[in-house]
Amino acid sequence: MTTDDTAAAPMVHAIDEIVAKPGDGKALLEDYLARYAPGARARGMVLEQILVSPPMWLDDQPNTLVFRWSLAGAGAWWQMRFVGGNDPDVAIWWADADARAVSRRRFFASDPADMERLCDV
Amino acid sequence: MYKLTRLVTLADPGCLSTLADEARALAVAHAAYRTLIAPTLPGSHFGGDLLAHFAFNDAVQRADFDAALAPLLATPAVASVDGVAYRSGAGGKSDPGLADGVYRVLLLSVDEDTVPATTQRFEAETRMMPHYIPAIRNWQLSRADEAVGARRWTHVWEQEYADADGLMGPYMMHPYHWARIDRWFDPECPDRIVDARLCHSFCAMEASVL
Repeated sequence: MTTDDTAAAPMVHAIDEIVAKPGDGKALLEDYLARYAPGARARGMVLEQILVSPPMWLDDQPNTLVFRWSLAGAGAWWQMRFVGGNDPDVAIWWADADARAVSRRRFFASDPADMERLCDV
Repeated sequence: MYKLTRLVTLADPGCLSTLADEARALAVAHAAYRTLIAPTLPGSHFGGDLLAHFAFNDAVQRADFDAALAPLLATPAVASVDGVAYRSGAGGKSDPGLADGVYRVLLLSVDEDTVPATTQRFEAETRMMPHYIPAIRNWQLSRADEAVGARRWTHVWEQEYADADGLMGPYMMHPYHWARIDRWFDPECPDRIVDARLCHSFCAMEASVL
């Protein structure tokens, strides 16, 4: 690395965007927090933010749920990935969640200011 | 080029040198165009104890060699074998003269029900890894014609590095890998199309075989 190796690793973010089936948004959010979040925290993920769109529960149309998690760098990301990717309970959770979703995305991101350091490997 | 790769897990590790010598002699007798036979390095995962890679000028040569090699790999000294036969897919070389480096192969299995356009997108994005990760010196992504082992391996992703640090460092830690490509492999991502069982195997090489 050409940057200061003693500095903390740049934070990275895992973002789940789930479009719940009409009327199921609130229950899906509660289940995510009850069934998925505790294990994710144990894998080193920190839940930074939850957003709901539109900001009211709809019973005939989908709500979009957004969960933004942070991880302490790419090393922590791989730790999360290896543990979560081999946990059958995690796979069961996502199969259940997908059955209740119109669509789902998971993507990974960083602050623009951290991009250069993340790429300097 | 028609290639054959075997990742050999030994029941008796003491047989590694003998088996390697016998496979090497067989490759010479069958006019293998390129041969790489070496013990796998620590960090390989389901990669076997011995990595054996052969290239031939035509499919008949490869088939004849495969038939001759099979009895060597069917002895009690061999616990299991994962492998593929394949024609060279698209690749590239930024360092064709690379010497005393590290060769790495990943065998992966794309789900059978994956639509072709999605598989092509996965392949195209994978082939861009060397563009973003210069530690990958030479590379080739191929589809398997035949597979043996724990899965019906569909793809062979080969890379060469100056050393193992290139594989363990830049390849693994670059965001193009973990924040872009890995979603095809990650059971938590809805884009996943690759079976979780992979063969990740690497070994020292004297000269490039790609």
